[in-house]
Amino acid sequence: MEIIDRYIYAVTQRLPESQRADIKRELRGLIEDMLEERAPAGQASRQDAESVLTELGHPNELAAKYRGHNDRYLIGPAVFDSYLTTLKIVLVSIAIGLSVLFAIQVIVTPDGVLERFTDYLVSLFSAGAQGFVWVTVIFALIEFRKRKNAAGTADSPVDWKPADLPEIPDEQSRIKLSDPIASIIFTVLFTVVCVYSIELLGIWRLHEGERTVISFLNADAFRAYLPVIWALAALGILKESIRIIVRNRTGKLLAFHIAVSIASSVAACVVLADSAIWNPDFVRDMEAAGLLNPGWDNYDSLVSIWTRASGWLVGMVVLFGAIDIVSEAYKWYRVRRSA
Amino acid sequence: MPDVNETINGLLGELRRGTIVIGVLSQLTEPQYGYSLVPVLEEKGVAVDPGTLYPLLRRLEKQELLESKWDTNEARPRKYYVLSPFGKEVYEGLCREWRKLIVSMEALTAEAKGGD
Repeated sequence: MEIIDRYIYAVTQRLPESQRADIKRELRGLIEDMLEERAPAGQASRQDAESVLTELGHPNELAAKYRGHNDRYLIGPAVFDSYLTTLKIVLVSIAIGLSVLFAIQVIVTPDGVLERFTDYLVSLFSAGAQGFVWVTVIFALIEFRKRKNAAGTADSPVDWKPADLPEIPDEQSRIKLSDPIASIIFTVLFTVVCVYSIELLGIWRLHEGERTVISFLNADAFRAYLPVIWALAALGILKESIRIIVRNRTGKLLAFHIAVSIASSVAACVVLADSAIWNPDFVRDMEAAGLLNPGWDNYDSLVSIWTRASGWLVGMVVLFGAIDIVSEAYKWYRVRRSA
Repeated sequence: MPDVNETINGLLGELRRGTIVIGVLSQLTEPQYGYSLVPVLEEKGVAVDPGTLYPLLRRLEKQELLESKWDTNEARPRKYYVLSPFGKEVYEGLCREWRKLIVSMEALTAEAKGGD
């Protein structure tokens, strides 16, 4: 019976993944035994099923009994597997991002490899620690909220009715795991670049065996915005963590997604629109490198591309933000309509 | 003033919770599945609801007092629990302590009565 599946799902979702299959099987056997006591096999009505489930009690409470007395987790069994998944993704992306940056730096300036290598190891360690702390703090917050919510419903277990059980999410409304994973990797790589090597974003030039980079940005001015970058990264990972935990397209999740998208887009626009972050010497450096010449016919239009670039970038951020929101909303709508 | 019966029920619940373990262990010299234990215990005056019993059986198994085996020969697969050798030893020790506890409590409550 469908309501029984919903009940078993609600209980086992709150248990460690390693125990779920066994408890699921045992619980189903128990419920069938209890049903048989109320009605001959195969003839149990929905009322019978509901009375059995009411006797077993609120799924939160039953799950709590299965977990035992010690319910004070920093990160509880219900989200622990998602926590490990997210942590692995974040740490691996940090390692990959920093390794790639290290490789690029060695290519650009082959001198002092040993020194750079030490730097690389130090940043690997410090960024890894940062990633670990952020993910842990995010999941501890999620756990804390979950417990607060659970306590709210457990206060009135008498009022609980089996009909209140949430639907089991079906395959179609499930979020593919690759989706949040890709977003986390992107967020981490973006953050790593911003924090460690923003000066590498620019025009690369190989001239007489010497490589130079003409940065787009003024690294010193940009550094003032690093707290914003950190906050955006944390917010982004929080959002993706919740998606990994919920794994289901719900209206609430969509609202949260839209709120985060708008906040990140606005923050990105504010940073991009600040003229101080752009390299003030960009045009001069380009001229010095011979990549731009005041004598050229199209000199003025080339320079105007540079001066207008920040406006275009702001436009692009807004456009991509809008596309993201519309596509998420559409996916959610499609799931809703087919339900 | 709090209701006498209500208070007694609350305190009794606490007392019972600890004794259920002994009750369950006592019935598991032969393999039993969870739901078959419920009427056995109830008949002997130890009422325990399945929502408490099933998690308890798992906990005792985790503590290695019980061993379990899935029986899939019947129409409905059932998990049978039985005392492990270690569980048997623990159970016997618990029984000894339990008898001592009865004697002590007997003496204490008799003393209180005598002092009236």
